[in-house]
Amino acid sequence: MIVAEKKPIEEIIDQVKDFQKLLIAGCNECVTVCEAGGKKEVGILASALRMYFMNEGKKVEIDEVTLERQCDHEYLEEIRDRIDKYDAVLSLACGVGVQFMAEKYFSTPVFPGVNTCFMGAAEERGVWSERCQACGQCILGETAGICPISRCAKRLLNGPCGGSTKGKCEISKDLDCAWQLILDRLKELDRLDDYEKIMPIKDWSTERAGGPRKVVREDVRL
Amino acid sequence: MSLEAKIKSGEFVVLGEFEPPKGADFSRFLNNAKQIKGRVDALVVPEMGNAVMKASSLGSCAFLKQHGIETVFQVCCRDRNRLALQADILAAGALDILNIMAVPGEEITHGDHPQARLVNDLDLIQLLETIQRLKIGKDLAGVELSGSPKFCVGSTVNAGAFGGVRDIEMENLNKMIDLGVQFLITTPVFDLHRFQQFIKHIDTSKGAVIPTVLLLKSAGMARYIDRNIKSISIPKEMIRDIQKAPDKLKQCIQLTAEIIGHLKEMGMAGVMISTVGWEDKLPQVMDAAKL
Repeated sequence: MIVAEKKPIEEIIDQVKDFQKLLIAGCNECVTVCEAGGKKEVGILASALRMYFMNEGKKVEIDEVTLERQCDHEYLEEIRDRIDKYDAVLSLACGVGVQFMAEKYFSTPVFPGVNTCFMGAAEERGVWSERCQACGQCILGETAGICPISRCAKRLLNGPCGGSTKGKCEISKDLDCAWQLILDRLKELDRLDDYEKIMPIKDWSTERAGGPRKVVREDVRL
Repeated sequence: MSLEAKIKSGEFVVLGEFEPPKGADFSRFLNNAKQIKGRVDALVVPEMGNAVMKASSLGSCAFLKQHGIETVFQVCCRDRNRLALQADILAAGALDILNIMAVPGEEITHGDHPQARLVNDLDLIQLLETIQRLKIGKDLAGVELSGSPKFCVGSTVNAGAFGGVRDIEMENLNKMIDLGVQFLITTPVFDLHRFQQFIKHIDTSKGAVIPTVLLLKSAGMARYIDRNIKSISIPKEMIRDIQKAPDKLKQCIQLTAEIIGHLKEMGMAGVMISTVGWEDKLPQVMDAAKL
């Protein structure tokens, strides 16, 4: 899933302080799971903003909505009939949802309420970590299902660097060395011979180096 | 006289664009440079123009410096992060390279290593800010430097911009001048009428505008540029004249010389002559242009 973090309230206030009618829009997908922009967070943020504006003596009308997905035309259409009522939208979706909202409602200012962090997984309650950088050419089959692009600090493709100590990365003792994890799992799978193979220089053109990306599937287009 | 002094004096500046070799043999590069030593104010050494891998601008400038030739060192946002850029800029200062020019760099996917990873840690404006900061003795981390580099700073401007794009270009240009840019090299100019429309929007007293004059090689090349590069238009008569000429090279050189003459008459600060691989033809172009 896409993992996001709530923006500091001061930053949010600074973005929306000049508007009188505000819609806070949550998203029922990834940001709900990572507890940054779902229905619950929309409610908490709306209350905090109402209190702030009341203390400031400002009359600001704040409505709440949580859409099934903000990265989908179908669900974004649900607010078309009332979007003109608002001076601005504060979207708690990931960067994709915020942009899709801005594209769809071109004349309504849209502000982000979260910082979109990465594609990752919940390691345990309250802890999310990165697992994929969408490089466009998956090599997990060769690296025992552990991604050195997203999990090695240096994105090394041919084994650990000299900074790997006791299975930990040199940038933090709390961070596993991705190559240690890969080696451990290759061993477990009895595939250590794979480690001897030299991984070729990576083609980064399918990552952002090749410009903004697009997937077009003729077989599913209408 | 240094390039900076020449710009300040208001005399007509002549720059030559000199692509570094793709290889470690610099003999041809040096021979071509020696041919025009003393005739140009400086040689502009591109940093992997069109994203085609070649010897670095910094190394090539240092090489030419050893042979007493003034250069313009190009720094490019595309391939280096802020650490590497600052390191190269300091090294250039220590090597006594007098001029620096910041460029964004063409798309990697258009070059000969399309699989390379794009850096773009700093954008063009931020790179100019970095140069300015190093010049006053501090790096981007705010740490004081042991000696600051001194450069005459330049950048590029798209002379073919029009409409809304031109407005954005003008905004950028003002930012660049505020960041200490002293000269601006334009995209190649063929259509003087279009160039006049562009130049009237620029306050040339704030920075020296130096148009690029590109030596065409054939009518085919001219047609290709005219059709495919939006920012450059080549008048049909020019293409026809090359096509009809019995000696195409002579005609191309003559055409380049005529454009240089017109730009001089227009009161431009100078020209940069670009020969794209035909650096050995530069003396002939300069002879024809009476430079």
